[in-house]
Order: sequence, then structure tokens, then C-alpha cells
Amino acid sequence: MTNVAEGALDRARWLYENRGLRAKELAAQGKQVVGYLCCYTPAEFMTALDLVPYRIQGGVGKPLKQADQHLETIMCPYVRSCFDLAMGGEYDFLSGVVIPHTCDAMHRIYDIWKYHMKPPYSHCITVPHMTHRASFEYFQKELEDFQHSLERFVGRSASEEDLVRAIGLHNRCRALLRELYELRKQEPPLISGTEITRVLVAGMTIPVQEFNDLLEDIIAEVRGRKPSSDGRHRLLVVGSEVDDVAMIRLVEDCGASVVMDDLCTGSRSFWEDVDHAKGAVSGLAARYLGGITCPCTYREGKVPERFSYLGDYVRDWSIQGALLYAIRYCDTYQLDAPEIKGYLESLGLPVLYLEDDYIMPPLGQWKTRIEAFLETIEAGKEE
Amino acid sequence: MAQEAKEKTSSRKSTESAGKIRTVVKRMYQQAQQAKEEKRKVAYCMVMCNYEEILEAMDIVQVYTENYAGLCAVKRQAEPYMEKARAEGYSDLLCGYAQVGIGFDALRHELGEMPPDAPDGGMPEPDMLLGCSMGCDPRWKWFQALGRYKDTPIYNIDVLMPPSDADMEAIKEHSVRYMAEELRGLIAFLEEQTGTKMDYDRLMAIVRQVEETRWWWREAYELRRAIPCPMSTQDHFVLFVPHHMMLTDSFTLDFYKGLYQELKERVDNGIGVIDDEKYRLLWGVGLPPWHTMSILDYFLNFGAVFAAETAYMVPESFEIPPDVTDPVQLIAERAFERNSALQWRGQQAGGVPPLAQAHLERIEDFSIDGVVMHITRSCRASTMGQILVRNVIREHYPKMPVMFMESDIVDLGTYSEAETKNRIDTFMEMVGAYKGSAG
Repeated sequence: MTNVAEGALDRARWLYENRGLRAKELAAQGKQVVGYLCCYTPAEFMTALDLVPYRIQGGVGKPLKQADQHLETIMCPYVRSCFDLAMGGEYDFLSGVVIPHTCDAMHRIYDIWKYHMKPPYSHCITVPHMTHRASFEYFQKELEDFQHSLERFVGRSASEEDLVRAIGLHNRCRALLRELYELRKQEPPLISGTEITRVLVAGMTIPVQEFNDLLEDIIAEVRGRKPSSDGRHRLLVVGSEVDDVAMIRLVEDCGASVVMDDLCTGSRSFWEDVDHAKGAVSGLAARYLGGITCPCTYREGKVPERFSYLGDYVRDWSIQGALLYAIRYCDTYQLDAPEIKGYLESLGLPVLYLEDDYIMPPLGQWKTRIEAFLETIEAGKEE
Repeated sequence: MAQEAKEKTSSRKSTESAGKIRTVVKRMYQQAQQAKEEKRKVAYCMVMCNYEEILEAMDIVQVYTENYAGLCAVKRQAEPYMEKARAEGYSDLLCGYAQVGIGFDALRHELGEMPPDAPDGGMPEPDMLLGCSMGCDPRWKWFQALGRYKDTPIYNIDVLMPPSDADMEAIKEHSVRYMAEELRGLIAFLEEQTGTKMDYDRLMAIVRQVEETRWWWREAYELRRAIPCPMSTQDHFVLFVPHHMMLTDSFTLDFYKGLYQELKERVDNGIGVIDDEKYRLLWGVGLPPWHTMSILDYFLNFGAVFAAETAYMVPESFEIPPDVTDPVQLIAERAFERNSALQWRGQQAGGVPPLAQAHLERIEDFSIDGVVMHITRSCRASTMGQILVRNVIREHYPKMPVMFMESDIVDLGTYSEAETKNRIDTFMEMVGAYKGSAG
């Protein structure tokens, strides 16, 4: 594996800064790498068929070059960024693309991606928005259809044992990430939000077994740290896609620690395991439809029950303030955001709402707002 | 400018049927308010959820919140509600309909009564909120947001839109089963809310009536293939109202029969929307600018008539299978057939994306010379994919002019009349050149 770094966190940083290199290396060796969008795509199916799942990411700080000619400006900027990179050849190493219909932007980009990129393999997974009993039964059928589609692509079948083995690898990955997140509970946290972001992004670009090995090394390395508390405020970040350190690093440079998240590139993507006791595909359907807290899935109930998991995070990670991060034009998140804000404020937390176009975060403006926000938290502590 | 736009609109021949709609809409809201006073159950609804017949069979009064937002925009009374929604923390980029609807209910909650001067007397306080996933995301998220202002039971259902390249035969069985189960879940919810049981014979009779209604609307719509075109898009964007909001009413069946007769008479007598129809346009995907519908008349000055649309489309034809006796199963099968028809025809055409397929079919069937699409700032679902559609049109009709108009469904602040007219002027020059080159 090409990697000039020595420590595990350095390795993660290298992978983060050289995204796609490892996958390209594998592709050059003959491996088939399949790109996917969104944390609702069950990567286990790809792993089971010896494909390399690669979560497609955007490019914060990279102005669009070609996407404007093909995508409307009011479309999800994250999706536009991903597509722009693809148009520029960034994802030419992919053998295929999988896009779940989880929100309007994902739904629309599938046809557009296929039309322009003409990938050798493509598949759209219909993800129910509801969580009725019938929704899970339907989703299981959809996932079986996805499995058959992949099997036709690679020309071989995945047995139940193959799927269970893949589930085991991905569950191991989830367990390791949760273990790493546990190390953020203590004061001070043993690993920063910036470092965590790099680790998470790195993990999206390499085979799960490699990531598991890396995580074990990272956990050992982080456990060995002996930091002393410097009284930084402990923050929770709630939002959707954060696959770049810019915002988190800014917050931490301003003097806070990001110790927990509810992001689809963060805890949302690994918090729940897959239980395959009743069958692999059934377990995957249950986990991917029922175990992800994205606002694109309708969950019955009102506040506070609907967001009580955030309350658990606040309690267990000793949160002192929350950042709500919205990518512009995300209807599902923006319809929830006022209620999430109200809920967190009801817990006594100061909340800062940040919104941007994903591609060019207004870091200068944010710095002022974040500094003022941290002063608010400080003032609250003193009262 | 190659052609001078003459500022005359009096030659537009609006249908008599369209002229009835304003009265119909007023009566619809009056009846809903009266029903509320009579303690009948009122539901907030979304159009095209496939539950209209079920609600009618359960005697539930249907109030369509998106369309009320459209009404507010038409009457230029949307701003106070949008401002209220924004004050409540909702983004100004959120779906414009949702902004108006949430703002309306937030204001009512704050005032403790109907907002003063609410268009057409306002929407009555609902007894239940019924969303669905057909069409776009806000249609099942919006009602949950109303939980901040009311403790009203919610029931949302999935209505699937199969992927463009799905093997329809392979997915049909489980897709139809899911749709049927979703509808059965809704019926159980409604039975609990109303304390009455579903009358399935009545439901089946309503379904049959609805399909007859649609048959007449479709037949009427097809008459617009005639040259000159007997009906404009300006009329279409009001004539859809009975179908979308009063689908199960016997009035609606008679209304579309009447529309058919009116258009047939026009076609038989060679009567068009304007005296000298030079160009035929397609209003492509993108909901109309409800705040300034008069801009559509500007095209008439160039001798251009919108002969067809891909917004508020007439439902695909559907033959009720003689062997299906369960109306719920029937509705589920119908939903799948309709929601997969464009995908299937797109596949047959060699892999044309369904949204583009809808446009290609209209261009061919309605002898179209140019396409106008509306990029709406706050409506993602009807805007995303417009450039793809244009690209596919260009593949099939390389010189076909396509214009993008930019504003919003409700937010007047996004609209520039001068800029829009400039674009139309340029576009119509291109249409003229295109038509001329095509002979």
C-alpha cells in the first residue's frame, strides 16, 4: 500500500489528503471499485462480492468547473460538487456507481450521472421514506434486487455466508469507530474533531478490512495520549455531509473541541450494527432503513422523543454547545432544523446555525460568529 | 429584434371552462370551512398521493395545502406567510409552498384564529395531516414540521417512483404489494380517526368514477394536438384544479366532459387560442410562476401558443382490469403502472431518462417548435434535471430552442419582468428562425 506516513493517524491523514489514491492503486491491480453516494447504500453487498466500495465525496474549496453546465444551481451543492469531480475525471477509476433514492437530489442525479458518465455499472436503490412494517419488507426486496444486479455485473453470486462475512467486517468497523468515539468522551478528548474527520473520510476510500486494521492502530495510538485539559468547550455538530475538515478545524482553531456529531459522514453512518440473525438481507434492510437518523427517513413521533438520541449524545459526551450545519437547498434537513434547534436549546445548550453552499464555506464570516458563540457559552458557564 | 412584440392580449381565447374555475375554488374552500363547522373530518393533503378515493369513501374533506400556497401566490398574498415561516427559523430557500403553508399555520397558532384576510377565507383547521412521498421530499416532511403548532395526527405513505432503468417486471410484484400495504395502513388510520369502517364497494365505485373523469380529461387534452391549438397552457394551469383537488366530486366528471365538448367544438370549427397561430410551444418541467401568470400571455404577442405541458400532467391511461375486485389492490396497481410508464417507454426508446421522455413525446405529438422551462428557486423537484432534459432534446432536435425562465413558484422577489421579457424576445427570435429553417 502506497503510504509514506508512519503513525496510524498520519496514515489516515495521508489517505484523507490523497483521496482515491489507494482505490486507484487497487483498481490498477485489477480490483473493481464501485462508487456510491449516501450512507444508505449497504456497502456490505459490494464487500461480499469482493468489490471495493468507495464512498464518493465532493471537493470543499474546489470551485465547480463543469457541473454548472449540467446541473441547476439550486441543486444540492454537495451533489453538484461530487458530479463536478466525476466530470473532471476524478472518479474514472470507478467500475460503477450506486446511488440510493433517499432524497430529491439523489433521485435526480442518478439519471444525470448515467447519462453523462456512462459508467460500466450503475444501480439506483429505492429507499422507502417511511418505516412501516411493509416498508422494511419492500426494502428487503429492493436490496435483493441490488444484490442480483451486482451479481450480474461481476458474474458470480454472493452466498449467505459471503454476506454474513461482509457484515461481520463492517460491524467490526462500526464497533471500532464507536470505540474511537468513546475516547472523545473524556475531558479533554483524546482525539480532536479534525482528526476524526480525517479518519472517517480515509475510511470511505479503502477496503473495510484495511480500514479496520488502521482503526485498531489509531485507537492504540490515541489511547497512548496523555493530554491535559485546557478548558475548551465541548461541542456537538449536527448536519449532513461533512467530508472536509475546514469547518471542524475552524471551530477547533477558535478554541473549542468538537467531541460528537450527528452527521451522515459521521456517527449516523456507523452507530447501528447489522443483526443478521434473521438473515443477512433482512438484517441489512432493518439496519439501513431503521438505523440511520437522516431526516430523509420519516420517523413518527414528536419532539422531544424524535430527537432524544441527540439528548443522549449531549449527556454522554458532556456537550456544552451545538452547531447546526446545513448545506443550502437541503429541504429535508431544513424542515427539521428549527425543531432540532429548539430541542437542543430546551436542554440548555447554546446553538449556532451555520449554512453554506458546501463548496466554498465562508470561513471568515464563520470565524467571527463562532468566536461570539463560544463567548456565549463561556458567559453561560459563568452565570 | 426580428419580430416586434405587439402588446395585445385581447385575442387570447380562454375557454369557458377555465372561466369557471375561480368560482369553483372559492366554493371549495367555503365548503371545507363549512364542513369543519359541521364537525366533519378535515384533512390536509398533498396532490397525487393516490389516496383521494379512499378519503372520499371515508367522507373526509380534503384540503390541499400546496395549492393553497399557489392560490396565495396568485393573489400576491404569500409574502406575509413566507415572512412568518422565516421568522420561525425556516430557510428562505425551503420549498416555497412549505414556507407559505408553515407560515400560515404558525400565524394561525400565534393569533389563535384564522389569519385576517386569508385568501378565500383560509384553510380550515385540519383533523389529520396526510402526506406522501410522491413528487418531492417536502410533501412528507412539511406536516411533521407543523407539530410545532398543532397536535394533529399525521399519517404519511410512500408512493414509489421506480428508477429509470429498473426491470419493471422484476420489481412490479413487491412494488405493488408495498403500495397496497401503505394504503391499507392509511385506511386503518382513517378508520381509527373517524370511528367508521371503510365501505369497499363504495370505494370501488369511486375509483371507477375517477378513471372515467380522467378519461375525459385525457381526451380533452389530446384535442390540443390540433392546429390551431384550442386551449392554452394558461388555461391548463387552472383546469387541472378540479382533477387535483376535487378528483372524486361528480362535478369534476361533468366538468371534464364539458371541457371536452368545448374543445371539440373549437377544433371542429378551427378556433384556436389566437387568430394567427405561428408557433407552438411546450411548457416543460417546472411549476409555473403563480405570482405572475400574466407573463405567459406575453408569448401570444409573437403568435406563440403553449400547446402542451409536462407540469400537472394528465395521468397516464389505465384500463381497470376486469379480474381485480379489491379496490385497494387496484389503486396500488394503477399507481405502479402510471409511475413506471415513462420509465418503461424511455427504456424502449433506448434509455431515454423518463423526464426527458415526457418532453420528447409532447414535442412529437403536439408539433412543438420550442420549449420553455421554469427554474424555480425554491422547488428542487421540478427544477433539477431541466438541463438534462434540454440536452436530450438537443440530441433528438438539435436546433429546437429551449428557454429557461427563472423565478419561483411563490416568491415574487425572485422575479424580474424586464429580464424575463428580454429572454422571451430572444427566445422567440430563435423559435422564428428554427421554424423558418424547418420549412
